[in-house]
Amino acid sequence: MKLPAAFRTSKGLIGTGLVIAILLVAVLAPMLIPADWATKMDMRARLSPPTLAHPLGTDQLGRDLLYRVLLGTQTSIFIAGAAVLMSIVIGLPLGLISGYAGGTTDNVLMRLVDTLLSFPALLLALTISAVLGPNLHNTVIAIGIAFTPFLARIIRGEALRVAQMPYVEAARTAGNSDSRLILRHILPNIMPAIIVQSTISLAFAILAEAGLSFLGLGTQPPDASWGLMIQASRDYLDRAPWTALVPGAAVALTVLGLNMFGDALRDALDPRSKGAS
Amino acid sequence: MPDGQTPLVSIENLRVEFQGEDGPIVGVEDVSFSIAPGETVCVVGESGSGKSVTSLSLMRLVEFGGGRIVDGRLEFARDGGVVDVAQADPDTMQAIRGNEIGMIFQEPMTSLNPVFTIERQMTDGLRMHRGLSAEAARARALELLRQVRIPEPERRLKQYPHELSGGMRQRVVIAMAMACEPRLLIADEPTTALDVTIQAEILSLINRLKRETGMAVLFITHDMAVVAQVADRVVVMYRGNLVEEGPVQEIFAHPKEPYTRALLAAVPRLGEMRGKSAPEPLRLVGEDEHRLTPTAPAERGPLLEVSHLTTRFPVKGGLFRRTVANVHAVEDVSFVINRGETLALVGESGCGKSSCGRSILRLSQPTSGTVLLDKRDILGLNDRDLRRAWADMQMVFQDPFASLNPYMRLSEQVAEPLTNYGLARGSEVQDRVAGLFDRVQLPRSFMSRFPHELSGGQRQRVAIARALAVRPKLIIADEAVSALDVSVQAQVLNLMMELQAELDISFLFISHDMAVVERVSHRVGVMYRGRLVEIGDRAQVMESPQHAYTRSLLSAVPIADPARRTIGEDMNFRPIPSPVFPIGHEAAPSVYEEVAPGHLVLSTAFD
Amino acid sequence: MSYILNRILSMLLTLFLISAITFAVTNILPGDVAMMIMGTQSNPEALAGLRETLGLNDPLLAQYGRWIGGMLTGDWGTSLVFKEPIAPLLIQKMTASGLIVLLSMTIALVCAVPLGVWAAVHPNRWQDTASSSAALLGVSLPDFFWGIMLILLFARALHWLPSSGFVDPREDLLLALRHALLPALALGLGLMAHLTRMTRATMTGILNQEFIRVARAKGLGEGTVVWRYGLANAVGPVMTVAGLQVGYLFGSIIVIESLFNYTGMGWLTYQGLLNRDIPLIQASVFVIAAVVMLANLLVDILYVLVDPRIRLS
Repeated sequence: MKLPAAFRTSKGLIGTGLVIAILLVAVLAPMLIPADWATKMDMRARLSPPTLAHPLGTDQLGRDLLYRVLLGTQTSIFIAGAAVLMSIVIGLPLGLISGYAGGTTDNVLMRLVDTLLSFPALLLALTISAVLGPNLHNTVIAIGIAFTPFLARIIRGEALRVAQMPYVEAARTAGNSDSRLILRHILPNIMPAIIVQSTISLAFAILAEAGLSFLGLGTQPPDASWGLMIQASRDYLDRAPWTALVPGAAVALTVLGLNMFGDALRDALDPRSKGAS
Repeated sequence: MPDGQTPLVSIENLRVEFQGEDGPIVGVEDVSFSIAPGETVCVVGESGSGKSVTSLSLMRLVEFGGGRIVDGRLEFARDGGVVDVAQADPDTMQAIRGNEIGMIFQEPMTSLNPVFTIERQMTDGLRMHRGLSAEAARARALELLRQVRIPEPERRLKQYPHELSGGMRQRVVIAMAMACEPRLLIADEPTTALDVTIQAEILSLINRLKRETGMAVLFITHDMAVVAQVADRVVVMYRGNLVEEGPVQEIFAHPKEPYTRALLAAVPRLGEMRGKSAPEPLRLVGEDEHRLTPTAPAERGPLLEVSHLTTRFPVKGGLFRRTVANVHAVEDVSFVINRGETLALVGESGCGKSSCGRSILRLSQPTSGTVLLDKRDILGLNDRDLRRAWADMQMVFQDPFASLNPYMRLSEQVAEPLTNYGLARGSEVQDRVAGLFDRVQLPRSFMSRFPHELSGGQRQRVAIARALAVRPKLIIADEAVSALDVSVQAQVLNLMMELQAELDISFLFISHDMAVVERVSHRVGVMYRGRLVEIGDRAQVMESPQHAYTRSLLSAVPIADPARRTIGEDMNFRPIPSPVFPIGHEAAPSVYEEVAPGHLVLSTAFD
Repeated sequence: MSYILNRILSMLLTLFLISAITFAVTNILPGDVAMMIMGTQSNPEALAGLRETLGLNDPLLAQYGRWIGGMLTGDWGTSLVFKEPIAPLLIQKMTASGLIVLLSMTIALVCAVPLGVWAAVHPNRWQDTASSSAALLGVSLPDFFWGIMLILLFARALHWLPSSGFVDPREDLLLALRHALLPALALGLGLMAHLTRMTRATMTGILNQEFIRVARAKGLGEGTVVWRYGLANAVGPVMTVAGLQVGYLFGSIIVIESLFNYTGMGWLTYQGLLNRDIPLIQASVFVIAAVVMLANLLVDILYVLVDPRIRLS
């Protein structure tokens, strides 16, 4: 099978490579690296710059940054993935119903969604997390809720567009019921948009998790996440900038990979790029 | 080429390539022809023939679309001598464009910059090429607007494009192209997006300007009827190659190349059905002659009875999206379709013909009226019974690229109605689907394919197969062949006529194309501003039209015969008013006068 | 005119919904406000007393009515952390944040539009690759990471600018700007990257339109075609995207202001969130959402001015 043209560009290849690599780290790192390697404190090498023993340096407690970053991958990816999944699970039915039913249902739902969009997503997530009490699961819930209106809006727009396509009308006159129409004809046609949007949302969720944890309203110790590591580095920026740069680079690489992958995905799924004869 | 005249344009061995994913793609190949001063040359071809690439190359605009002139000469005779446009530097090209060669494009709705006034867009070229002051440029712009006969030119200058109708915008674009009195006007499908009356106005305008200014015209089109009306000489193109070239009478009367003959055979000519009682398939080159021919339906009683059908769409506005006005899409329309008969609904865009078809199926909800299919009241059915009723009436849509689900195999899409309506089960389904593919003359190997692997015509056949699956009594074909190239259009039309003869299906054939309608229909209804203004047998309506609108519509249709040039130099039709009315507007009922048995003409006046 | 009237009515409805959502988020979610304020270890009598003073024993609807009534009459309650009336506190912090938000938006637009157009004019050439890659990197870095880098570079290494604190512009404008510059840059870099991508996409679409071809066919130079005919059409869409990003900025200021110890709205909200100062949280969340909504309303009204299609319909 030939790779779609959009993935044969350097952007597509790098993006795909990064995403695969990060997923591998997220899954494999906790299996291959004993957990205590990341918590072992080396008091003689506190805030050590990169050395042979600690290739990426150590933090204020002398913990190895390489291991911490590798083990933190799973937490960050898990939170972002679960939050996006949650926003899809809530936003998909909302958007589909709104776009398909139209009329008053649509008006009421979209008025609500538009209002929710006035709240900056990060502020909404921070508030929910603060009210619920910050921990790993509430971080997922906070980011998930904060991202839902955005997804519902996009899915609704797509559903509205697709529901008016002649092939949906043709399928209706072909005797399909409403549920079959939605599941067999509308949903598959908005899937590309949902997939692309999820990839981009995943990138945003990684950033949001980092932001929440950085402010102390996300993941709490002893869970290790990248945002938490950057937060810990704040007091040592002068002496040990690598303590911020290492987790920062991990966030950047992940988000960059997801964005590049998302761009390529969007180009590949764009109907205009399909070989229309 | 008349002897002893230096050509204005001489194209020699033009070759244009586009950068494709896997190496260069040839846009046009070895094309040579010339244009004499004051002459109209039509380049005609179907989509992908390279006709537009040729004209864009002459302006060196092809480069902006990713194309590259790799070979050939494009000689253009300027005042100071002949220039090879293919080699000219950017400054020379800028001095030629809009000054010595003017160009107009297909889409009048997008040809003007939406955020600038007409004045700004008309004067910037003049100020640049002619160095005119703002005053002088404005005066010239006014003069041009008068020349293209735009009413209230002073007011137009202050307006923005969206305030003008499509026909008026195309006039502005023409005025802009004429601003510097070019010696050549390139018109790239200038009337394709326009209604037939506006097309006639624009064609007659180009004819008049050509005579008044003595400029030459390079006219790009896919429409043989337009060619017949405007061309002095014709260049036929096919897949990037020049097929045939010659004077227009010669090409139409004695085409030499098989492709030209096939193209001409596929074009229905208005008036050629005179004296025939029933529709007749087009005689396509290379097809066997003994096809099933539809006959005049024996009087077998009505299948579909539509009476006083009215459909209005609310215009929403304000805070709570209340209805602030109504679009009167269909207004008190009544007609009958008999079994095995084709009724054509014709009219220009916005006349309500599509809404009428959709209302019958209740894809749009009618406001009032009755629709009886086989004596069953369609408008009174609940959702479940309506779904069952659809087993008797199906629709084929205009856009073959949008009427099939891109993510479903073709066999599944054709099988859906069979399983949904319980018409077949198990292995029987695949057999029936295979039979349907045979029926619409598609290879069975296509069954497992996806829509994007097919051409437009093939997709439309699949859409027809899907409609046929339920063995409907009525098929509503909404502009079903309008998006197809003419040769493919002819094949699909023939298929529909065959199906009718064989399966006794009734058609409601909705179209804007009078020549096609004349070919396929038993009876014709003409729609205008939501109403049926005239209905009768094909011969009655087409040969002795009674309503003023039907007459003006017929007079605007270009005929694919250079011996019958009906497009004059000064055609003007009344613009169609808006169908939006305030809430509570009482529309007068439609009253008809029977001028001959079965030939009804609307006598209600429009407000 | 009726368009603007409509927008204002719609705005009032949205404001009401914003207040309801704000109240709901801070109340309906599990968690006892009094317990949140005093902590789980506090003594039950004190808790009951606090519940009584805050009116937490009343029905939710009554609580909401009291709260919204106060918000409308200017009585926004008293902050539990700062022991001050909230209204004057919020207004003062809002002006501080307004400075860096405006500054960052200006920086972002001034850089992003030319970069985006430049990339769109040279699709798939080095100009496009360079500008698009930089933009992609820009949107991929968390803004607090930008902040840390800026602190390391401009404050710690070069000593050009202060790394923390806020100075009131009315006291010393230059010093205030020096303090505002790094937080504004930290906010603006990500925004700039995003706007560059949007400008490129918008301009690419516009440059493929027929009227651009018509402009070229008139013999107009490429400069005029791109920067006048093209850009005039991009102003509206780019403005809309920029307007939507105001919301993003007001989320980011919470992180950036705490990083730079810039005592504005974001910093204040963060203090509220950290200390579970419910009256302060409610007021600031409401105010931020209202400001974001107003910014979008402003953009919609401006759009009417730049696009004759809406202006005249």
